Amino acid sequence: MAQRAAVVGVGITDATSPRKQTRSHVELCQDAVWAAVEHAGISPADLDAVVVGNIDGFEGTVLGGKHVTRLLGLGPHLPMVVLNTGGTTGGNLMQVAARMVRAGTHDRVLCLGGPTFFGVRDLQSAINTNSPMIVEQPLGMGGFHMGAFAASAYQARHGTTVQDLASVVVADHRKASANPHAHLRYTLTETEVVEGTPLSSPLTQPMVCPVSTSAAAMVVASEGVARSRTSPAALIRAMGTSSDPYLGGGKGDFAVMENLAALARRVYALADVRDPRSEFDVVEVFAPYVHMQPMQLEALGFCGPGEGIDLIRSGATDAGGDLPTNLSGGPKCTNAGVAGELAPYAYTALQVMGDAPESIQVPGARTGLAHGTGGSFFQFENLAVFSRLDPQEQS
Amino acid sequence: MPTRARPGPVHVVGLSCTPLLPEQDAVLDELVFDAVSAALSECALRKADVGLSVLASMDVPDGRSISSGLTTAAAAGYLSDSYRLEADSGSAVAAAAQAVAAGDVEVAVAVGVHNPEHHATDDAGRRAFLEQLSNLAFEPAFDRPVGMTAQAVYGMQAAHAIRASGVTLQDLAELSAAAITRGAAGRRPGRRSPVTAAEVLASAPVAWPLLDLMFPAPLTGAAAVVLASPARAARLLGRSAVVTGTGQATGDHTWTGDWLTRPEATTARAAADAYRNAALTDPASSVDVVELSAPTPALHGPYLRALGLSGLPPARVSPSGGLAGGHAGLANGIVRLLEAVEWLETHEPRGRAVVHSVDTVTGTVSEEATVAVVEGV
Amino acid sequence: MTSPLTQTVHWDLTYDVHLGSTWGRFMQGLREQKILANSCPECSRTFVPPQAYCEACFVRTQEWTELPAEGDLEVFTVVWQGFTGGPTPPYAVGGIRLAGADTLLMHVVTGLDFTDPATVREQLPHGSRVRAVWAAERTGQILDISHFEPAG
Repeated sequence: MAQRAAVVGVGITDATSPRKQTRSHVELCQDAVWAAVEHAGISPADLDAVVVGNIDGFEGTVLGGKHVTRLLGLGPHLPMVVLNTGGTTGGNLMQVAARMVRAGTHDRVLCLGGPTFFGVRDLQSAINTNSPMIVEQPLGMGGFHMGAFAASAYQARHGTTVQDLASVVVADHRKASANPHAHLRYTLTETEVVEGTPLSSPLTQPMVCPVSTSAAAMVVASEGVARSRTSPAALIRAMGTSSDPYLGGGKGDFAVMENLAALARRVYALADVRDPRSEFDVVEVFAPYVHMQPMQLEALGFCGPGEGIDLIRSGATDAGGDLPTNLSGGPKCTNAGVAGELAPYAYTALQVMGDAPESIQVPGARTGLAHGTGGSFFQFENLAVFSRLDPQEQS
Repeated sequence: MPTRARPGPVHVVGLSCTPLLPEQDAVLDELVFDAVSAALSECALRKADVGLSVLASMDVPDGRSISSGLTTAAAAGYLSDSYRLEADSGSAVAAAAQAVAAGDVEVAVAVGVHNPEHHATDDAGRRAFLEQLSNLAFEPAFDRPVGMTAQAVYGMQAAHAIRASGVTLQDLAELSAAAITRGAAGRRPGRRSPVTAAEVLASAPVAWPLLDLMFPAPLTGAAAVVLASPARAARLLGRSAVVTGTGQATGDHTWTGDWLTRPEATTARAAADAYRNAALTDPASSVDVVELSAPTPALHGPYLRALGLSGLPPARVSPSGGLAGGHAGLANGIVRLLEAVEWLETHEPRGRAVVHSVDTVTGTVSEEATVAVVEGV
Repeated sequence: MTSPLTQTVHWDLTYDVHLGSTWGRFMQGLREQKILANSCPECSRTFVPPQAYCEACFVRTQEWTELPAEGDLEVFTVVWQGFTGGPTPPYAVGGIRLAGADTLLMHVVTGLDFTDPATVREQLPHGSRVRAVWAAERTGQILDISHFEPAG
């Protein structure tokens, strides 16, 4: 019988650079899984399945997720589903796990995202293989070049300056400096961002995510399991994904995130969200490139076209603002691949459960929005709306 | 602990498969499009009716990282819910069925595709490439450097079975010959001529003690299924079968040895879940036919026992010939479902089938097994 | 001596990537200095590069047309940091809307002065006209069009 699903446990490890990391891929995953299982108040034997993400070619092992999960000692023959949708892998883990629970066949499903970028010597080459080969890749179009297209188009549409873009980076770093799990925890000035190494115009190095190592895990459980806990859970009120075509040339308008806007309308309708700006207490978006965050805020209906940077500059998206966004610092300060993609879901769930790190917890947060994006030219989007689910009153 | 109620049944309303061939000059997404659009046509549904698309494929044979970037739109995923599993398409069917059972969508599509971006002149060359990919899927510090591959695992498992269970190479050859011969007369023959046990025994050695004709011929293609809620299916033409339960399990790592001595355990766990979901208490007496996925004849007996179906007459075990004729990689799960549904459609009274599929990426190591119970209506 | 922390793992995979008939025809066209597009019979959108099917209408594409080798540059970026195996930076890649196409064709764009990174955007404003320059030797691949240059 169909049932509701909620996040009941979250585990996030501290992040650092691959060079400074002393834990192995498996050890990081283990830390995250055990933290999530402990936070959920269950034992590994209670799990009905695992949904794990990997991106082949980034990890040195095909179906790397299968190995890692088996090495965690989560019980023999536990069903394990390997998901790979590139940059949306982490965000999609919960979409798969929640449906297992919602179908009524599973009560506790673990989602696991590991440090995908840990170990690959030539990351850009691996990322480049998802740039459409044959027709687009031979042109010298790789990962951040695909990202830069939208930045360039957004600038052309709205007259956005490099300083404007830099202000977003400054805000992200300020937030990350308060998050104990973040990788880049230093603050930056606009000048430092503008004068960073140019990558692909208009992007400079600080405008693009770092390569981090960390892991994240979540336990998705049935409403019954969630209500039997003694502390709040994060009810999954609505979720969805949407896909654009493969070729960058099929996107049409690079200055607007039409695919995300369409998905937001669909997911808001499912959750009966009418006024997103006032209804969400906390938001985490996946914005590994600087221009993505303002464009996403626009597509998500928080402000009008071209107003995203003003919204960020106004302080509304800071801690204490009316729309706290990416208080984790987001992927621009921590991006470990699948773990980084799962992070918006993990942090948002923690926020509505009231269990985020104290320094970034939004007091009284009840409703949150989590987002993910990835694929060639960011063709994939995913979203979920969480609400605080209080435990059953003890009689 | 809350008691678990049965999931709602999910109807199979469209099922289709491209030609399964040793090689075909088609881009992956064209194969996916062909299979999905044909499956939708069967039940007169259109892309806009599809609530969720679940794709099964793998990046390394597909020749690009995040190959679902290419194939998602072809799976009817443009501007709608979709994701890709790196798993046998049996898993994609289970995931699509869960979305329907959850009430999240009325119509879901599952599709598996396999067309490695590699050209070879014969089966040995095709296997050599798949084996190279298999090696990359083994654990990198211990298993990969010593040459572990799917075929090596299957060979060791067969050798162990011969030593430990009394089955002989002759027995295995007879199983393969019978299955290949049955498949040659079927709708999707991977090998087109009947063969004798003697011919199997005379075929080239591949991974001792297993011989060439004991392994499936490598095939390529795509297969798709359209699933619908009972209410939506009631208003549709097309296939009439119901998935009443699915179960999945994943096998253990190299060093536990389960893959060698208890290769049936993964399938047994998947079957237990599928039967519980389908409220099937006595499979031996209530299942009419099974589409089994035994990548070698040495796994035929163990898998059949794990499913509790050892008592079925041989003609009711993979009437299509199963994998003995050929294996279309991750598309296999839906191909087996198609074969089972076609069998149910041609037998009166409409019976009950068990569909079993496994991935073969690393043999019985970390093997993923899916079991579905399907009833004709 | 400390115990090793990493081990080098190398992948060496060679692929024969299927072109299929749709892209095969497009590549053959390039050899003949023709840019071929195809269209959806339902929504009438014209695709270049061509598509075997329309993702929105979910039907096979049909009619083929030749497009002019000239169009508007809708977007571009200058690549300052390249990647292993790629062209030597700096270079510019852009999205070009050929007349009659509903999609963008990505290609290398020349004619920019790279000396001052701050001025590159103004040098080729949105919608600048660009034209294809054919490679002298054409072998049926996307670089049979050497690059696009400003059409003046």
